[in-house]
This record gives sequence, structure tokens and C-alpha cells, in this order.
Amino acid sequence: MRRDPARGSVNGGCLDRTARAAGARIIGALAARFRDLDIAEDAFAEACARAARAWPSSGEPRDPAAWLYRAAERSALDAVRRRKVRDRWAPSISGPDVSEPAAEDALIPDERLRLIFICCHPAVAAEARAALTLRLVCGLSVPEIARAFLVSEAALAQRLTRAKRKIARAGVPFETPRPPEWTQRLDAVLSTLEVAYAKAHEDAAGSSAHAGFAREMLDLTGVLAELLPTHAEPHALAALVRYAEARRPARLDEHGAMVPLSEQDPRLWRRALIVEADAFLAKARSLGPAGARTLQAGLHGLWCARPSLDAPAPWPAVLSHYDQLLAHREDVVVRINRAVALGEVSGVAAALRELGSLDPAALAGFAPYHAVMADLLRRAGQREQAREAYRRVLALAPAEAERLWLTRRLTELG
Amino acid sequence: MKYALLIYSDEAEFDRLQDTPAVAGVMEGHRAFAVDMGSAIVGGSRLESPQTATTVRTRGAEKSLHDGPFAETKEQLGGFYLIDVPDLDAAIAAARKIPMLSQGCVEIRPVGA
Repeated sequence: MRRDPARGSVNGGCLDRTARAAGARIIGALAARFRDLDIAEDAFAEACARAARAWPSSGEPRDPAAWLYRAAERSALDAVRRRKVRDRWAPSISGPDVSEPAAEDALIPDERLRLIFICCHPAVAAEARAALTLRLVCGLSVPEIARAFLVSEAALAQRLTRAKRKIARAGVPFETPRPPEWTQRLDAVLSTLEVAYAKAHEDAAGSSAHAGFAREMLDLTGVLAELLPTHAEPHALAALVRYAEARRPARLDEHGAMVPLSEQDPRLWRRALIVEADAFLAKARSLGPAGARTLQAGLHGLWCARPSLDAPAPWPAVLSHYDQLLAHREDVVVRINRAVALGEVSGVAAALRELGSLDPAALAGFAPYHAVMADLLRRAGQREQAREAYRRVLALAPAEAERLWLTRRLTELG
Repeated sequence: MKYALLIYSDEAEFDRLQDTPAVAGVMEGHRAFAVDMGSAIVGGSRLESPQTATTVRTRGAEKSLHDGPFAETKEQLGGFYLIDVPDLDAAIAAARKIPMLSQGCVEIRPVGA
């Protein structure tokens, strides 16, 4: 939902629905035409405010999205005239007659892809990119994004302002990238969505503010795959987000403690999302050799194919996926996860040897390393060292669900 | 749109490798860059070593004079190009083509209108 109060909750239903469904399209179309994110965003907000005033008395228009688009277009034109922008970047203000915002059936050009590429330009700081995408493409409000990123609203607003100023003044192109930049730019888009999704995923309980935008991430990754039908990685990301969201109902036990993936009851997983994810993954695989994102999504797919807790966990296939990922690029997080799978397939001693080959000093502040180490030491019967490792993770202030789970394991050790 | 490409490199490395094919390669790279960019280059120059720099520093009403560059860092401004290209992506593509020894940076700054 576009839940910004300025975007009108007064006559609720229709306006909210329309703003949510068409917001990114309208802002994208205006941004592409006027080459200015501020103008596009402000014009859309103004159109929503006008709708909130006009619709209750005049009735809902036949095509509410077209009404909003026309109204926003008119606001944008006014803004351009008011600004008396310099000729060299003044957009052409020819175009459709916008004197009648109630005109029906205006075709809104689909410029969402351009909007996503602008928001995710690698010249913008990564966290600002994620925030800007959530704001402009997903329509989240500043307070919502600020809560998810654990920063003050003022700080987030400033981050957004800086990012938009950089885009305007540094000449970030309002075009989809050209071939030489394509790979890097697409990668920036995907990593931006990963940063944004990580914020939505962190909240296992799904009760607080950011769980709300897990749904927006489902939409957005689906849209990106739809807009880039011949690219494997957007499909892989759409699959990954769906697999991860499918498991959300099983991530916590009745006490609010986390449930490790291998102990989650597959009957609680959301089947419909898994079916969607399987289709995205199959498409990604059909589009070329598996890259890192396709392999990551494949890992999730292995788990989500488990029919019940009685069926064996897919550890051997998981281990082989981690081997393939490592062949792509050396990554310490992948190696820690691989050690978990290795422990299940080849035994705890092999996993401890593998972890022992990592640099403990570099990982001193990295909670997953200590958590995996603690679990392996516990199973190896090295109780004292295991207790020490559990205390180390707990000292790193894990999220509540993990804290509960780790504390339980530590207590069981006696 | 006009951009300044500010080239920061390790002067010590340049000094160390003076009269070697590595430095000659960088110089040749700049000639090739200029040919490649053609009329998109509207200005620029190599700068003499930072040791030749003089800095006038303002602190309130006071203006003081210092020998040397404004900051003592390993990588120093060694030269710049002023280019006129359509957008930031084109400027980034140009910056990537600027030859370097083993390390260095190119800062891309839009030129104020």
C-alpha cells in the first residue's frame, strides 16, 4: 500500500488501491518525461491530495489511475513553469492537453524499469538506493523506511534528499543503461533489492513495521522479472524472495524462538508462493548458465521441495550447491554455511576442520560464525568450548528470536 | 553535460617507475584516450608533482601560505580532464578508460553551471 498520509487515506479504498497499483507507473512516467525525481514525486503526492478532496463529492472517476496521472502531469507542468528552469535541461512541455485532469483513458507509459534503474544507479550510496527504491517504486512512507533501516526519520529524509540531489546534479541518465554499463547497472539494481529485502526478512516475527514491505518486495521482484524477460538473475531473485517468504510462517516457534531451516515443519510453508518461486527458478535456469543468484535461489528451492519433516533433509544437494557457489566466488559467509552442510554430510569433525581454516580474528564480530561454531562444538561434545561460543554470539546482541533459541541451547548444555 | 575527471595517483610509484615501459605505457594510454574521446575533451592537463604545490589556506580572516598540496595523502591529484558528454554513465565510461599504474582513482565531478 502507498500509505503516505499525503497520498490520501481520507476516502480510503479506491484512492489507496489506485495509488498503490499505479503509483510507480505514474511517478516513473513523470520522471522519464520531466527528468526530475522531485517534480515527479511531488506532482504525484499533489494529485493524490487533490483526489482526496475531489472524489468524495464528484464520485470516483471511471479510470482512477488515468485521473491521477492527468492531475499529476498538470502539477508537474505547473512546477516546471514555476521553477523557470534553465533552457538546457528544461523538458519539452508540449504533449497532451492537460487542462482536463478528468479526461478518461489516458495511457500511462510504463517507465517503471527506467525509474528502478535511476533509483538504483551505482553512483548513489547502496543504502540510499534501497531507501529511494522503497520510497518511489514501492511507495513506502519515510517513517516506514526509517523504521526498517533503524535510522531516525530526519536522517532518512536527509539521505533521500541527498540521493535525489546527486541524481539531479551529477547527470544520472533517465534512461535504461546502454550495453557497456548494462551488467554493472543490473547488478546494482539486484543488490539494491537484496539490501531492501534483507531489511524485510530480518524481522522473523513479521509483526513490526518492516514485515509489511516483504509484500512490496514480492511485487517489485516480480515486476523486474516481467520487465526483463530474458535475464536470468531477476528471475532468480524473484524466486529467492518467494521461497524465503513462503517459509515465514514456520520461522518462529510458539515461544517466539527461531526455528532452524532443517527443523521447520514444511506443512506450515505457503505452498502457493513455493509454486510461484519454482516457476521463476525454472525460468532463470532456462535463461543461461547458473550465476550466483540462481544458485542461491536453487538452495532455497532444495529446502522448499521437502514435503515433510519425515522426509530426509536435502543436505548432500545443499553441500553441492555451496561448492558451486564457492567456485563462483570466494565468500566467507558461503563457507560458513557450507560448513553446516558439511557437518551433516561428512560429520562434525570435518565441519570443525573447515571452520578452523577461516581467520578467527577477521570473524570475531560476525555472529553467524560463532553460532555455527557453537552448534558444532556442542555436537562434538566439547561442552566448555561450546558454552564459550554461545556466550560470544549472545554478546553480539542477536535479534530476539535468535537470542531465545541460542539461550535455550546454552541452557541445555547445563 | 560537463564533468571534471580528477586523476589521483600514487606519485611515489610514478617516481619509482620513471623511465620504465610502465610509465611510458600510461603516457601512451593518455594519448590513446585523447584520440578516443576526440572533441568530448574540452580541457585538461597533467599537473606537476605535488611537491611543487603551494597552498593558500584561509582560517577566518587569516590567509596563510604553505609549501605543498592541501592534504598529504598517498594518492595525489596528478592531472585532470574536462569532458563534455551526455550523462554520468558516459562520464563513468570515460573515467574507466583513463590509464593508471597499479592503483589510483578518478573522481568524476559535474562542473557547476
